[in-house]
Amino acid sequence: MRITCPHCGARDAQEFTYLGAADPQRPDGMAATEAAMVDYVYLRDNPAGPHRELWYHGAGCHAWLVVTRDTRTHAIASVEPAKARKAGAAA
Amino acid sequence: MAETATPSRWLPRRPWEGVLADGHFGKADETGVTVQTREALGIATLITGEDSHAALDAAMYEHFRLSLPRTPMAVRSGSRQAVWSGPGQWLLVADSREGFRGDLAKLAGLAAVSDQSDGRAVLSLSGPRVRDLLAKGAMLDLHPAAFPVGTAASTSIAYLGVTLWRSADSPEGPVFEIMVARSMAGSFWSWLSASAAEFGYAVTSRRASSADRG
Ligand SMILES: [Zn+2]
Repeated sequence: MRITCPHCGARDAQEFTYLGAADPQRPDGMAATEAAMVDYVYLRDNPAGPHRELWYHGAGCHAWLVVTRDTRTHAIASVEPAKARKAGAAA
Repeated sequence: MAETATPSRWLPRRPWEGVLADGHFGKADETGVTVQTREALGIATLITGEDSHAALDAAMYEHFRLSLPRTPMAVRSGSRQAVWSGPGQWLLVADSREGFRGDLAKLAGLAAVSDQSDGRAVLSLSGPRVRDLLAKGAMLDLHPAAFPVGTAASTSIAYLGVTLWRSADSPEGPVFEIMVARSMAGSFWSWLSASAAEFGYAVTSRRASSADRG
């Protein structure tokens, strides 16, 4: 599998580290209920199909990326800097 | 308890000293790869926020006539190079360490500047089989159409982190500069020496001179 890093270009998956689902947002600190925290820490959808996930380009530019990958075929639909997603979430 | 002999002082050592030796190795009568050590380079990492490097850009141009690349490229002006190494991250590489501290002082406050002159080791690789050699370790397309002169990449070779860039061609063909963490120089050399043997390779180490180009 190759991932086309928006900074570095197409690279072997070996250069990256996988973290997991990109979309779960940490609940707001002490205000969160136990159930909301359990959901955030443990519960994942595990879809058979498109999945947005975080990858770290550790052997390249050291950027975190959001990769949209089909879990059935490994076809990658998009790769974007995670920074853009974070900035979007904060706005 | 036996007395142990303690050296009275630390001695500076060249980055490839004790790692490689000059000469011709591998396949006899052929020199597919030429290895030249790069000695006494000034090397520093420059790191800013991804979108907050306007002041660094201006200072790099004002002092060194270097335009920091936004993409994986290496640019040269005079005796200095700027090599892209990530968003908001560059390497400043000077052919000589003379005056390098002064260079870095000019960038104080504009970026996180870290002198790595003793922390990295650099080889210059050329020769008709240099791409065949690199193909055995680097997971990159180094075809001239995909990796023209001036292209840079941070990647791994034999699981070791490397920064490599393509300098101006020499009369005998393309030239690739490869930088590794100095503590990994021995491991990198064990990959390179084993991989280059089938092509025959020549090693030259020499002290820095004004003729050194990257
Ligand atoms: Zn990258």
